[in-house]
Amino acid sequence: MKIDRRSFLGLGLGAAAGVAASPVTWKLTDDLSIWTQNWPWTPVPRDGEVTYDDTVCSLCPGNCGISVRKIAGRAVKIEGRSGYPVNDGGVCLHGISALQYLYDPSRVQAPMVRKGDSWKTVTWEEAITLVAEKTKTLRESGKADAVACITDNNRGTISGLCKRFLMAVGSQNFYTMDTMDKSWEMLISKIHGLNASAGFDIANSDYVLSFGTGFIEGWGSPVSNFIANSSRKERHAKLVQVEYRLSSTAAAADQWIPAKPGTEADLALAICSVMINDNLYDKGCVKKFGKEFDVFAKLVTEKYAPELVTRTTGIDASKIRSIAADFAKAKAPLAIAGRGKGDSAGSLMEFAAVHALNCLSGNINKKGGFWTIAKDEPLTWPSLEMDDVATKGYAKATIGENSSVSKLFEAVNSSENGSPVEMLMVCNANPCYNLHNAKGVQEAVKKIPFVVNISSYMDDTANLADVILPAHMFLEMSQDLYTSSGTTQRVTSLSKPIASPIFDTKHPGEAVIMIAKALEGSIASSFPWETYDECLESVTGEMWSTLSEEGFIDSGSQASEVSAMDFSLFASFKGFTMPEGDKKNYPLTLVQVDHMRLASGTFASSPFAVKTVSDSILKDSDSLVEINPETADQVGVSDGDIAFIETPVGKARVKVNLFDGIMPGVIAMTEGLGHFAGDNHYIGGKGVNVNELIGPVTDPDSGLDAAWGIRARLSRA
Amino acid sequence: MTQDNHGKAHKYGMVIDLDKCTGCGSCMVACMSENNVPFKENETDKKDSITWMKVFKLTNGKPFPDIDTCYLPRPCMHCGGKGDHGHSPCISVCPATATDYGYDTGIVSQIYTRCFGCRYCMGACPYHARYFNWWDPKWPDGMEEYLSPDVSPRMRGVVEKCSFCYHRYQEARDRAYHEERRDHIEEGEYQTACTQACPAGAITFGDLNNPEHEVYKLVKPDPHNCGRPREPKAFRLLERLQTNPKVYYISEREWVRKAGDNYRKGEWGKEIKVSHGKGH
Amino acid sequence: MDSALIPKGARRCPFPVFATGIAVVSVVLLWGVFAMVLCWLKGLNQTNMNDYYGFALWIWADLAVIAIGGGAFFTGLLKYVFGIDELKNIINLAVVIGFICYSSALLILAIDIGQPLRGWFIFWHANVHSMLTEVAFCLSLYFSVLTIEFIPLILENRQLDKVPFFHNLSHNMHGVMAVFAATGAFLSCFHQGSLGGVAGVLYGRPFAYREGLLVWPWTFFLFTWSAAAYGPCFTLTVCKMFEGITRKKLVKDNVIHLLAKISGWMITTYIIAKIIDTIYWAGVTAPEMGFSLMDFYSDNAFYGIWILFAEIVLGGIVPAVFLTVKRFRENKKLLLVAIILGTLGVCLNRWVMVLQVMAVPVMSFDTWALYIPSWQEVATTILPVAYGVILISLAYRYLPMFPQEQELYDSK
Repeated sequence: MKIDRRSFLGLGLGAAAGVAASPVTWKLTDDLSIWTQNWPWTPVPRDGEVTYDDTVCSLCPGNCGISVRKIAGRAVKIEGRSGYPVNDGGVCLHGISALQYLYDPSRVQAPMVRKGDSWKTVTWEEAITLVAEKTKTLRESGKADAVACITDNNRGTISGLCKRFLMAVGSQNFYTMDTMDKSWEMLISKIHGLNASAGFDIANSDYVLSFGTGFIEGWGSPVSNFIANSSRKERHAKLVQVEYRLSSTAAAADQWIPAKPGTEADLALAICSVMINDNLYDKGCVKKFGKEFDVFAKLVTEKYAPELVTRTTGIDASKIRSIAADFAKAKAPLAIAGRGKGDSAGSLMEFAAVHALNCLSGNINKKGGFWTIAKDEPLTWPSLEMDDVATKGYAKATIGENSSVSKLFEAVNSSENGSPVEMLMVCNANPCYNLHNAKGVQEAVKKIPFVVNISSYMDDTANLADVILPAHMFLEMSQDLYTSSGTTQRVTSLSKPIASPIFDTKHPGEAVIMIAKALEGSIASSFPWETYDECLESVTGEMWSTLSEEGFIDSGSQASEVSAMDFSLFASFKGFTMPEGDKKNYPLTLVQVDHMRLASGTFASSPFAVKTVSDSILKDSDSLVEINPETADQVGVSDGDIAFIETPVGKARVKVNLFDGIMPGVIAMTEGLGHFAGDNHYIGGKGVNVNELIGPVTDPDSGLDAAWGIRARLSRA
Repeated sequence: MTQDNHGKAHKYGMVIDLDKCTGCGSCMVACMSENNVPFKENETDKKDSITWMKVFKLTNGKPFPDIDTCYLPRPCMHCGGKGDHGHSPCISVCPATATDYGYDTGIVSQIYTRCFGCRYCMGACPYHARYFNWWDPKWPDGMEEYLSPDVSPRMRGVVEKCSFCYHRYQEARDRAYHEERRDHIEEGEYQTACTQACPAGAITFGDLNNPEHEVYKLVKPDPHNCGRPREPKAFRLLERLQTNPKVYYISEREWVRKAGDNYRKGEWGKEIKVSHGKGH
Repeated sequence: MDSALIPKGARRCPFPVFATGIAVVSVVLLWGVFAMVLCWLKGLNQTNMNDYYGFALWIWADLAVIAIGGGAFFTGLLKYVFGIDELKNIINLAVVIGFICYSSALLILAIDIGQPLRGWFIFWHANVHSMLTEVAFCLSLYFSVLTIEFIPLILENRQLDKVPFFHNLSHNMHGVMAVFAATGAFLSCFHQGSLGGVAGVLYGRPFAYREGLLVWPWTFFLFTWSAAAYGPCFTLTVCKMFEGITRKKLVKDNVIHLLAKISGWMITTYIIAKIIDTIYWAGVTAPEMGFSLMDFYSDNAFYGIWILFAEIVLGGIVPAVFLTVKRFRENKKLLLVAIILGTLGVCLNRWVMVLQVMAVPVMSFDTWALYIPSWQEVATTILPVAYGVILISLAYRYLPMFPQEQELYDSK
């Protein structure tokens, strides 16, 4: 066969045309690309009718109003609730992430009982019976007071039911986690003789002098403070931050006063001394209410003159004077305290020194000032029946001195013949993570023969429990909530279930009622409600109709009139010494810092929140510590080094993060990492829990744990 | 002719007040939650972590105690490109027209089903606003329940980025048509998820072509100068590259405004001409 | 064993030796194939690329192989269009290298995209403004041209040539080759250029951005010119490698010196243009964007000013001098140094225009991004090398790749 140029071309073109015309290749190519656009393992969310359900977030004490977007009944997104008194549409990242808490498959899905090193799933009846039997045995052997209970706070029906249960059983050992609110209340009661909580009218103050508060990092009611902070720009209000570290609050402030850690009280008193010396205080107010003002005036002018305090605080006398002048000159000055998010108690002496500024300025219960908000018990409980056992047990003192939860665990650890607590009930709290010397607390919990945890998550405490009663998470339940931290505004709200329970969980209050009922007798009759909802409706009394219809009651700011200011007390506080540990072995100071993007309360942060955390705080599974480049040089570490941080309480592997914003000699470590989270590897096992490195320090003035740091050393690994 | 935008197309944009931003992260999470952004067990490699809205932390570079820091949230800038003609750095390079400029909104779109993952657009974007799906998105069992049908979850191997919550625009537009308002969309009707969530009220969103809108009032974009802010405290990131972003920042702090662009020694403070040329 | 396939009169090593060599290289090839399959099945998470480094080793490999494969179009242009007939003695080699380089580039591109099954969208949904679209069109068209150029050589295999159809086909194809060579050269100008345009148009990346002519940035022209200039260096390097390995002279010196000389003058003109471009960019373009030259070469652990020096002096001026000066060019060692430096120089240029572009921070508060490829990336980058070695070995063994081989052997 002879091929000429023509037939060659013809053949070639023919072949090409043939292939091109065959639909197989083209169809296949197209089908394959369509397949990649519809991969069966990439989810396709179901569509449907859009609705919104309002409720209130209870992940932190801020209690913001939230609005849940639902599609065909399934919750898909959380947004802030516009017009809600606390947050007016704004919402923090944790609140937005709440659906990740709701749908989390690593939640405790059914009641579980520990069998050696493993868990056994049981029915609710079995679990409740087990707890009731244990309580009964303890009561029968006269150890009713060996039952203890911890909840995260003492507001509302859930903790009310726990407390009531403990009373009916016969134990005073009811504890809540210590927060700054406790210290402020204690201070108000001592200085002003009032049963009131502290309110800070930040939104109307034109000069906020903050002593280490994480005012825009989760302090008080976070969103409400964000709004107040933003409005400063338009109001021309000043924020002055006293802190040893350039926190976000310090960076946002108009002035940053980097006083040495632990000298905040000295600085506050030095400002007081200037105000008194230069006659910059509200004499009318002091004269009217002040008791033993002269003693105080003498003390501060002698011991806290700016020149003297310069040495301790590292702040120039001239600067102290100018702050005093500005503070006094301001129309509505306000001094606030409570380190970080305020979720540790803090030093009462420091609070007092700061509050002395408010007293001197006379800006109390006035617009933009410090408020003493009346503390009324909002709930009406029916009378409680206590049998002989209960009465006898209840008469005994608490195991933890001053009702301090830290002391409770110290008592357990120090007891030589078995644990004085024989049954511990933990409800919505995570002491094994949140308390200082967390490892020690874990040891104590292990020592307690029977631990019941009412929890939604397999957290650090649940992991050590004997029985876990799985609780609804807040989106699955009703609950009464009380916004009170930080602001002057008091909002009572009702959260409503926006989703039906996903797992075999129950309302924590209901779990308590069930245990009580299983115990029969006087205990059962003290819990006359069939369900938690019935209890809620009955104990909220008059509030119920408004709560159930409107969702919240905004009682605004109702002050308890101040009629006394006992200045003698300001001088009587002892204060507490620096964090434990000797300077020679531990030349540095480790401080815990709070970060808005990491939850530091009962709940670990969500996967979304963890994702937002900077790699200068968490890298792979290492926590980073902030250290000043100058100090790093002295210690011999450089940026990114793996190092060991050692304190008298513990040791941990960390990574070094050089940061010019931290005072030389101080190391900062972020709170909220190092959680145990069961099978949830998105949030668990990341970094180090700083509470394992810091030990509790009892404040002699309040009896509460007031530690905020510890001596430490850092060495390269 | 509609009256609301003076006959011109919409030009949606954002103004972020850096003095109000607290770096709290709400915008980031609101965005992830609104737009079905996935998450991995380890998200600490920030160069491989999908955050349509990312908050940078800037520092003035000074030692203690003169140091200052500032947070800077960075969504997609929805650049108008050279001469503001819609040839943003990314759009002009995409070989498959998988990203496009909405001349009616000024929004830079991303079509996930068309993108074949060449990542040229990522290389083109100086803001690192574009993210690649290196992994198949995976949600823990049961967590797919919160996924929104308004935004399709992306498959592995494609690029994604902030869309100014375009689905919210579509919804607002549909409502406007339905209510016979043509495309008259009220300012409050179309807001992005981050704007809505920001607890500090630092983010403002609206139509830069509409003098009634807050964004316009805040920065006074100069229509004859590719939308450059006439407000002295306002700036755009990398103005000198002529990308003409639709995201503006405001700060009282000079060092923050300076950090918004690159300046050679001695240039800051002097009038710098940016040609805002016609582009290709 | 396979002697019937070996070109008449050509001396080749014994088949077992050849087979062993191929087997060894095949292991490397399989390693690469394994990595490639991993990338396709599991996705690009197998690489160390990230959102800062979307373009990395692979894109560099693409640009580099296409640059050094540029010998094919340029030699073809010289021979068929400019009628420099001596080059017929090296054109086969240039075509085979070109074929290997371009098929490798297409393969790497197919691995490099996140959705390989949708790769054809680049044609279907083409965006004419995109340099990558231009690359894709020109590249695939030119690859077809190269295939057509390669076919006649294959058909010249002793056994295939016996089939009258193939014999005639080959003959006829040779007849029309000038048309294809011209087409190829035209296409090449555009795809080499558009590859340069890929980086040059990035006005968001001051390190890469260049002003230019009409829609084409200067890098467009520089890439075309450098591919033409340096491509022959690689052809010559491969030729020298063959001669070294086979211990035979395969191409006459006059051919080699001629190509080397042309390459030398091309490099000279290119490097002058490149220096002017660099000065203009460093003095005008970058400063307008707020950057000083040293901003691109400081504050990081790798990219120092040395890289610019290496590219321009070692990879440009030195080979230019060595190749243009007759005395140097005809010195065997210096010639070798020059063509190797030239090959490395153009590869370094492509490296800088891809990897350094990604590494340089643009926002004032951003940081340098450095990246180390994963083994999967390295394996898939070596894969084409192994494939090339195998293909070119087969071509050498069974095809009359070097027309002067017999003559040179006889004259020895």
